Amino acid sequence: MADSGIEAVSLSRRFGAVNALRDATFTAPFGAVTALIGPNGSGKTTLMLILASLLAPDSGTVRIAGHDPLVDAAAVRRTMGWMPDVLGTWGGLTSRMGLEYTGRLHGLPLDVSRARADALLSRVGLETLADQPARVLSRGQKQRLSLARALIHDPQVLLLDEPASGLDPSARVDLRDLVRELAAEGKCVLVSSHVLAELDEMADGAVYLDAGATVSAERLDRARTSLRWWRVRALDHAETEVALRRIGLVDSQIRHDHLGVLAPVRDETDAAALLTRLIAEGVRVTSYSPAVGDLEHTFLDLTSRRDDDVVPPRPADPAYRADASPPPSTTAFQRPARDDSTPEEDR
Amino acid sequence: MSFTDAIRVVVSLELRQRVRAKSWYILLGVYVVIVAAISILLLVALPAFGWAGGGGVLSTIVYFVLLLGTLVTPALSGNAVNGDRAEGTLATTQVTQVSSTALILGKFLAAWISALAFLAASVPFLALCFVVGGVAFDTLLVSLVVLVFELGVVAAVGVGLSALLTRPIFSIVVTYLVVAALSIGTLMVFVLAGIATQSTVTSTTRYQDYSGSNGESVCSQWETTTYTTPRFDPYWSILMANPYVLLADATPTQYNAQGDVEDLFGGIKVGARQAQIAPELDRRYDYCDTTDGYPESKSAKQVVDSTVPGWFVGGLIHLLLGAGMVGLGIRATRTPARKLATGSRIA
Repeated sequence: MADSGIEAVSLSRRFGAVNALRDATFTAPFGAVTALIGPNGSGKTTLMLILASLLAPDSGTVRIAGHDPLVDAAAVRRTMGWMPDVLGTWGGLTSRMGLEYTGRLHGLPLDVSRARADALLSRVGLETLADQPARVLSRGQKQRLSLARALIHDPQVLLLDEPASGLDPSARVDLRDLVRELAAEGKCVLVSSHVLAELDEMADGAVYLDAGATVSAERLDRARTSLRWWRVRALDHAETEVALRRIGLVDSQIRHDHLGVLAPVRDETDAAALLTRLIAEGVRVTSYSPAVGDLEHTFLDLTSRRDDDVVPPRPADPAYRADASPPPSTTAFQRPARDDSTPEEDR
Repeated sequence: MSFTDAIRVVVSLELRQRVRAKSWYILLGVYVVIVAAISILLLVALPAFGWAGGGGVLSTIVYFVLLLGTLVTPALSGNAVNGDRAEGTLATTQVTQVSSTALILGKFLAAWISALAFLAASVPFLALCFVVGGVAFDTLLVSLVVLVFELGVVAAVGVGLSALLTRPIFSIVVTYLVVAALSIGTLMVFVLAGIATQSTVTSTTRYQDYSGSNGESVCSQWETTTYTTPRFDPYWSILMANPYVLLADATPTQYNAQGDVEDLFGGIKVGARQAQIAPELDRRYDYCDTTDGYPESKSAKQVVDSTVPGWFVGGLIHLLLGAGMVGLGIRATRTPARKLATGSRIA
């Protein structure tokens, strides 16, 4: 078996005048969940369709568990399960029958198909609705049926396109657990989603797509290490603010949202240092966490910069850092002009 | 998974969905009521026109079955592929072990089988004509075989077009237009092309001249006149592409003692065969020669016996049309897809 579940090199694909995918290069290993992240129209679904052996790339190569879909699509399909972003059900067929047919379309014998369908229906929590016509299912239930369909032939590589959309919170937790289980079984799972907080909890790695191209590793590093806001929740927010000023933060480095007070932090070490200081100042902290998740932070950073060199608004180096720069002006949070000399934290 | 297994699963999946659809049964019920009403009316009315026995009734009923069958089949087949695409179930089938050849052939067979259910529902009424009498068994059998074949051709065209065109409503309408082109268009093209192609007839005549002084008859000089006549004989194969003509031409004809035909099929067959005979362009009428007598017109039997059976030409045209459309449909659904119709989504 191949080392990686998915290997994509310089994939491109255009539809008429639209260059949907320009240069996608990444690998996704077995036994791990890889997140596929990108803004709307960045080419996520086009990439998924190429990986799912439905669409031929204009250039570049794909290997799914070592097989090339352009050469041996049948071998790819034997080992790959795809959950599309469009939910289709066969009119009038029950969930159980739909799953059985999918198994048989994959070439499984009838009895194996039946057994797999039963097992998967209970695994995705649809056993009570198994004999209802699939078209009466709710969106979330269809979503789970679609996931079961992708799993019917026990594929080693899973492509999940927006699996969490339409799921209620408890179903999302179930999905996350299921996806983690599948990775623990040694499968290669690629998940695309807009709900980045969720991917944060389930993904081991991430691939960022921006305007049809995967984002390079160094650009990712820059984005990841840029300053981010952490949220301090305490019994008394005024108390927190006072403490932050005493620590050395200026007004522009202190923000508020409906949950608490936000302060800029560069990395985990910084975060720990700030918390230690706050506690020492006597702030009664109840919760302390990043205001946005890891993936979302990187995603926002990447999408706000694109290819231009305009520096987006970001906090200046806070005072509690050992290598802190001199206290910034109060306009540090405003978007600087191109020739502005604001310290570039992420460069 | 073998090729036949794949086709079998697709056919079963398609039929299972139709069998579960109420609309299919309603359509079948309405169809039976119409065929029953027509049959009873014809059995009562036609003998009054002097068309004794079941022969005339049978040919008329078979034509009605052909008419209704070709009206129903486009609706059953014309959305087979793009309907699935609209429902979001096509791509889930394409990522299985079923090849696009097996998928399209399976869909074609399923559409054909469901169209044949309508034919099966009309068999009792055809059998009634047989029982009432006057119908040769081979006429009944051959007309059934041609009906089965023709419904297959329309089903193939419908499935092919549904793979080639993006919108279901559009492909259904185009399938109807193909049926109309075959049923009415061929007649129009045949007639217009025949009229457009005129040939000059040279007619040489001499006759008895009684105007002499002694009352003796003398032979006049040869007189030559020219006029034009339409030529239908180069276009007889167009006429054979008409399913109604094809059906009439293929069925064995019953002649009476004078060598004339007694049913609708026979009449149309004689007319269609007549078109094969080129008009005589150099005509010579010698009315002086009384020993020769007047030329006798050919009987229906003589016309039929002296010409080529045209049904195989029409059958070949239909076979190529159906097979060609299915072939194009297979090509259009091949994955990984290189070309997509503009505005279409693969999944």
